[in-house]
Amino acid sequence: MKQSLFKHPLFLIALLVSSVSFGQAIKGTVSDANGGLPGVNITIAGTTSGALSDFDGNYVIEASEGDVLVFSYVGYQTEERTVGSEMVINVTMSEDLTALDEVVVIGYGSTTVKDATGAVAAVRSEDFNQGVISSPEQLIQGKTAGVQISNTSGQPGAGINIRIRGTNSVRSNNNPLFVVDGIPLSGGSTVAGGDVPGVGGNPAKNPLNFLNPNDIESISILKDASATAIYGSRGANGVVIITTKNGRSRDGEFTYQFNVSSSKPRETYNLLSSKKFLSERTRLGLDNSADYGSSTDWQDVIFRTAASHNQNVSYSKSHDTGSYLASVGFGNQLGVVENSNMERISARLNVNQRFLDDKLKISLQGTYSRINDQLAPIAGSAGFRGDLLGAAYSANPTWPNRAGFDETGGLLNPANLLAYSSGRANTNRYLASLSAEYDISDDLRGKVSVGIDQSDSDNYSVSSKNLNSTGSVTGNGRGSYNNLEVENELLEATLNYNKTFGDSKLEALVGFSYQSFRNSGINSSAWGFGTDDMDQMGDDMKSIVNNIANQIPGSFQQFGYAPNLSGVYVNRLFPDVAQEFISPSGSIGAIKSLAVDSYDNTTELQSYFARVNYSYKNKYLLTATVRADGSSSFSKDNRYGYFPSGAIAWKLSEEDFLSDSNVSTLKLRVSAGITGNQEGVGYGNYVRRERWGGLGISDSGEIFLNSGVGAVAFAEPNLKWESTVQYGAGLDFGFNDDRLSGSIDVYSKETQDLLFLINTAQPAVNPTQFKNLEDSKIVNKGVEFGLAYDLVQSEDFNWSASFNVAYNDNMVESLTGEYLSANVNGPGLTGATAQKLQEGYPLFSYFVRVFDGYNADGTPIITEDPQFVGKSALPTVTGGFSTNLSYKRWTMSAYLSGQFGHYVYNNTANAFFTAGAFNTSRNVLPETLTSGEGLGASAEASTRFLEKGDFVRLQNLSFSYNLPLSGKGTFKSMVLSLTGQNLLLFTNYSGLDPEVSSSTGGSLPSIGMDYGAYPNPTTITFGINAKF
Amino acid sequence: MKKLKNIKLIALSLMAIFTMNSCSDLEIEATDSVIKGALIFEGVANPAEALSGLYGQTWGMLGDQANFFALNEVTTDEQVIPTRGSDWGDNGLWRSLHAHTWKIDHGFLLTTWNQLNEKVLKATEIIDPLSNASSQQVAEAKFLRAFNMYFVLDMWGQAPFRNATDGASVTPSVFSASEAYDFIINDLNDAIAGLPNIGPSSETKGASKAAANFLKAKVILNSERYTGSEPNYNEVISAVDAVESAGFGLQAGYFDLFLPSVDTETVLYGEIGIGNRIWNGMHYNIVSPDNGGGGWNGFSTLAEFYDLFEGDANQNYVGSGQEERRGFVPDASNADPNTNYGIGYGFLIGQQYDANGNALSDRAGNPLNFTRDFDLQNSSETQAIRVIKYHPYDGSGSASFRAHEIILRFADAHLMRAEAMLRGGGGSATAEVNELRALRGASPLSSVSLDDMIDERGRELYVEFFRRNDLLRFDQFTKNWEFKDPASVGDTTRNLFPIPLDALISNPNLVQNPGY
Repeated sequence: MKQSLFKHPLFLIALLVSSVSFGQAIKGTVSDANGGLPGVNITIAGTTSGALSDFDGNYVIEASEGDVLVFSYVGYQTEERTVGSEMVINVTMSEDLTALDEVVVIGYGSTTVKDATGAVAAVRSEDFNQGVISSPEQLIQGKTAGVQISNTSGQPGAGINIRIRGTNSVRSNNNPLFVVDGIPLSGGSTVAGGDVPGVGGNPAKNPLNFLNPNDIESISILKDASATAIYGSRGANGVVIITTKNGRSRDGEFTYQFNVSSSKPRETYNLLSSKKFLSERTRLGLDNSADYGSSTDWQDVIFRTAASHNQNVSYSKSHDTGSYLASVGFGNQLGVVENSNMERISARLNVNQRFLDDKLKISLQGTYSRINDQLAPIAGSAGFRGDLLGAAYSANPTWPNRAGFDETGGLLNPANLLAYSSGRANTNRYLASLSAEYDISDDLRGKVSVGIDQSDSDNYSVSSKNLNSTGSVTGNGRGSYNNLEVENELLEATLNYNKTFGDSKLEALVGFSYQSFRNSGINSSAWGFGTDDMDQMGDDMKSIVNNIANQIPGSFQQFGYAPNLSGVYVNRLFPDVAQEFISPSGSIGAIKSLAVDSYDNTTELQSYFARVNYSYKNKYLLTATVRADGSSSFSKDNRYGYFPSGAIAWKLSEEDFLSDSNVSTLKLRVSAGITGNQEGVGYGNYVRRERWGGLGISDSGEIFLNSGVGAVAFAEPNLKWESTVQYGAGLDFGFNDDRLSGSIDVYSKETQDLLFLINTAQPAVNPTQFKNLEDSKIVNKGVEFGLAYDLVQSEDFNWSASFNVAYNDNMVESLTGEYLSANVNGPGLTGATAQKLQEGYPLFSYFVRVFDGYNADGTPIITEDPQFVGKSALPTVTGGFSTNLSYKRWTMSAYLSGQFGHYVYNNTANAFFTAGAFNTSRNVLPETLTSGEGLGASAEASTRFLEKGDFVRLQNLSFSYNLPLSGKGTFKSMVLSLTGQNLLLFTNYSGLDPEVSSSTGGSLPSIGMDYGAYPNPTTITFGINAKF
Repeated sequence: MKKLKNIKLIALSLMAIFTMNSCSDLEIEATDSVIKGALIFEGVANPAEALSGLYGQTWGMLGDQANFFALNEVTTDEQVIPTRGSDWGDNGLWRSLHAHTWKIDHGFLLTTWNQLNEKVLKATEIIDPLSNASSQQVAEAKFLRAFNMYFVLDMWGQAPFRNATDGASVTPSVFSASEAYDFIINDLNDAIAGLPNIGPSSETKGASKAAANFLKAKVILNSERYTGSEPNYNEVISAVDAVESAGFGLQAGYFDLFLPSVDTETVLYGEIGIGNRIWNGMHYNIVSPDNGGGGWNGFSTLAEFYDLFEGDANQNYVGSGQEERRGFVPDASNADPNTNYGIGYGFLIGQQYDANGNALSDRAGNPLNFTRDFDLQNSSETQAIRVIKYHPYDGSGSASFRAHEIILRFADAHLMRAEAMLRGGGGSATAEVNELRALRGASPLSSVSLDDMIDERGRELYVEFFRRNDLLRFDQFTKNWEFKDPASVGDTTRNLFPIPLDALISNPNLVQNPGY
């Protein structure tokens, strides 16, 4: 069922009705060190009467003598004044420096860290990481215990892996749920994928690239079930809530941020020079007719020192009844590999407006972004010829650096690949949320929100006919043009009840949420281009596809043409399955063969939820949540899942027995809950569905119309929610007014009824199908510890340091079946895998042959069969350390991150750095030829290429200087900063970087595989942040 | 205050209505796929297109060099893929097939098991009355079901079966070998009755009475392995006679048979790109105008197999005394961009040349000289004899990767008939074999034994994916050949493949074959 979000305008109108106020006035001004403070909440203790200060900090409130006025404002210490005889009460608020008092945005509301019962963490903009930040999660990398954020590569805008308290599911999506300004995002990609002809599919992009990091106010992370349960079905992997900035400045303020940076690969391989290449060949008795007379450093050819820039202007203003913020940003981030960059243009408008004596609050958060990606021909799934990086590592250094050079014996010439392959993706995205919040009574508040998340993305991946050594591409040209449109709609309604009676405080929430996710688009492939101009190839594909599509009457699933067909075929599903031929007008001659396939499907989620927060004497806190989630991915009988959770907390520091101690915070938390997961199951996998089979273009440009119509999904009415049962306990502590503070958490998560793509019992319509594995259980257990200490606190000099560490133990406790995964790619490695999923072992456990040196002939001595070697790609310990030093106007911050206990499979070395590779005239490392390996040896996947992945990285080092300005000129403030990212890496890993995860393909998502991964760059950034 | 209360009431009720109205039933909508009957099978959406898909997928399976083809050819003396330095090691994937040391987790087994059985169910769905297929469509589906199930039976000795109306949660039953045999013969008899009579023409890519008779002859000839009793050889002979009476027969010009043009031998062909058949054995530096990237330098053959043919043991140049079916290697005098691109036909041995007659080198600059000898584990780029039956030069000068692969060829039927005669069906097997040999320019045999018969089949039908099937029938699949693991010689448990582990787990009715 499709929803029209603005179906009920009456509701909004109904809320726009005035109410009445009353009473006799106490006046005053609330200010802070800088002057009047707007938006301060003034309430009379024990009542619900209240007022807000206006833009000059002035307020008026009805009160009687003896009433206690409570002045509260986020980020300031709460002040209390008793009303006496005077009618004017002025208050100066002081900033609250206690970190633990930070507000955390939780699902459908907010709380403070002090009052939270669950494991939640918040990182605010002032604590964000600095430098080149292409997407929001980089802002908080390493800031929170138990949250592991890894880039999948160093490519601008590359995909991310975020693991909150371990890896629960065996499907592709273990990322948490992202909620941006109240809109839960879909887990899917919004960037159309492409397939570089002869190389492979583009790696996934980060789904958060569309957000301008400068617009973000805070990021909250909900870790345990009691916190995530309000998001029920989608909270099993944790929840990341991103809140964007609102207008705060009373006078109106411009902020201008500018940064410019320079990046280069942190490290490259120490490959043989051409001279050494030839002398080693001579030494090893190999023929030197492989000498092509040049001396080329192929890494120099494909890597570069790249300059990037990013600019952002925002204007923010608050006034009596609301605030607004507008921003525009433009940035271009260049990758350290030629032909890779990401350009982002973004705009944001956030408006908050209160009506009806502040009883009605309307908020709008809207953003638009345009992302233009240029994609180098790099793919983790590249076959035996490798991709651009593999080609550069293995190319003969005596080849000339010339795109036209083709005497490569079937190997890839990097210069040729670089010159004659092109990938572009252009994505427009709109995300807007509009909400109306109304105080129905003093205790009861209602809120309705609608959200739209819409994107439109085109991907053009082409290789021109000048590309050498790639079968049918050479001489013809091949390309793909894909389009992806995503349209997600959200409708939410909540009722909030707040009541304080005596020592008790009750907060109750009930709500309804409906969300639909529509994905539609086309995938097309083309062969035989009239031009070798790659931009023109892309344009030709798009215009021909659109031209024909517009001329097809009615609906279609596929169309296309080829020299062996007369006319354009159209394959329809509706109203009936039919194949027709049409003769569209307009030229199609620029491409010889074209095959287009389309898709359009919608999944829906509908939920009902309720939460109660109860606190007694501000010492004993209780939260209980239940959510019922319905998903259109399951049949009627299994559609709804019910996910309850509960948590209690005891603030020991509020007890009398601790009141005189220097314990400023001591809180014990215990939680339990169930969350669900259905992400990745996708559209209609529980019904028998039929579609036209995929049509390909043969190497000689023909299309054979014999794919037919067949089942793409098998009836499986028993599919149901996967669920995770979580238990957790935590202790928050602080001493000396929280000068030393920290928390420790323990947890256990058990995921059961795993939704798994199993092998179907044959005969079956598909080799695999989704099924809930009975008796399956994946367990993550862990401990998280965080500590922060203000080492020095003085007027001019402050020094603080914080540290977090998490230990996670993952285990597949029971599972029917065994599943090989994580393909090892490269020459001679077809069908090789490195990992296996089996009960009794952690996820991503390595399962390979054991290597034990070389025999006299230089043949590797390896076990006959692969086996579990007791090593996993999952880190057991992750940690971060950060420190901040400030002296007068100077600030320095540093942040180190580390991961330990995991192993990386060096697929790059397995594929390219072997003596056998040298024997076939590929370049290698000097140590490859002294290892004892024979020139004729085959390099089977084995523990020889399995290495410890432990590392510590100096992720971020930043200096900033706050210019002394009078404040009376144009500029209110100006901060200059210099930031270095990825400056140092401490590791014993022999590859370029152990923090990689190439998606090498296989039956399960792969992690820990390093196959020609895009290097993580070292970046130096100079930035200016000015307010005026 | 009354007014205020009303407003609250309105706001509350509006909110309630809003919420109620927006409730969705969460039913799936068919926007890009046909959903018939939602949960239970109610017939395929379109029998003609379902059948087209079934053909396409069957041909697709046969065109692959891995999986089905590898299990039926690389497990024999005809094909071997030596590991060449870092190339083709593939964790022993290829070596274990030739050495007969494959294990239950060999990746090709699961893929092939899935591919064959999937097609069995798709055929069953078309055959199901709910699909309302025409009688000819039903007959074609039965032919294709028999074809796919036959290989399940032949490779695993049992065959799972699922009704079209069973959903994913029903555990399929499993036919024993003799049950599966009866089922296949039934399907073929029905197919013969319902299929059209198609003679030599471009229409032989579809199932015909002749194709069904051909397959029936093949299944019966092999039936002793499934039923335990002696095959009815007269039925084999009469089934081949029926193929012949449809107009099929032997044709001269051996390598022309593999061109896409119509000939009297092609009983069934598939529209399959034949690039895999061309390039899997060619060296990287052997190129054609449509494939500048060259070959993949893998698939080779044993010298002992090469020696089955008449001709010089160490070379195959024109005039070195070879028979037609062994082909030839063009040299400086007859390499030609207009007839062969310098690429040989049949068996490639010795120095190779480019289209202009220049001697080729390997990637390190050594002469590209294919040798008889090689090592399974550790070969150079140039070792081992290569086999090429389909040729990139097809006379048109353009479409070298034409999509036309022979699936059933009359010469096979002709030899099956001769074999049936030899094994007791009556008639002169020697005359039959010599008829073929005369056409191929090979000297006649004075008499034909079973050993001559399997060798003749090898010479005529090499790398046409029936070698495993043939060797099994002649009890030679377990014989010794170069690089076979000594422990596997004589090991009859190798006659069947192991049921892949994932398949065993998915269906408790399957019983693992002995020896695994």
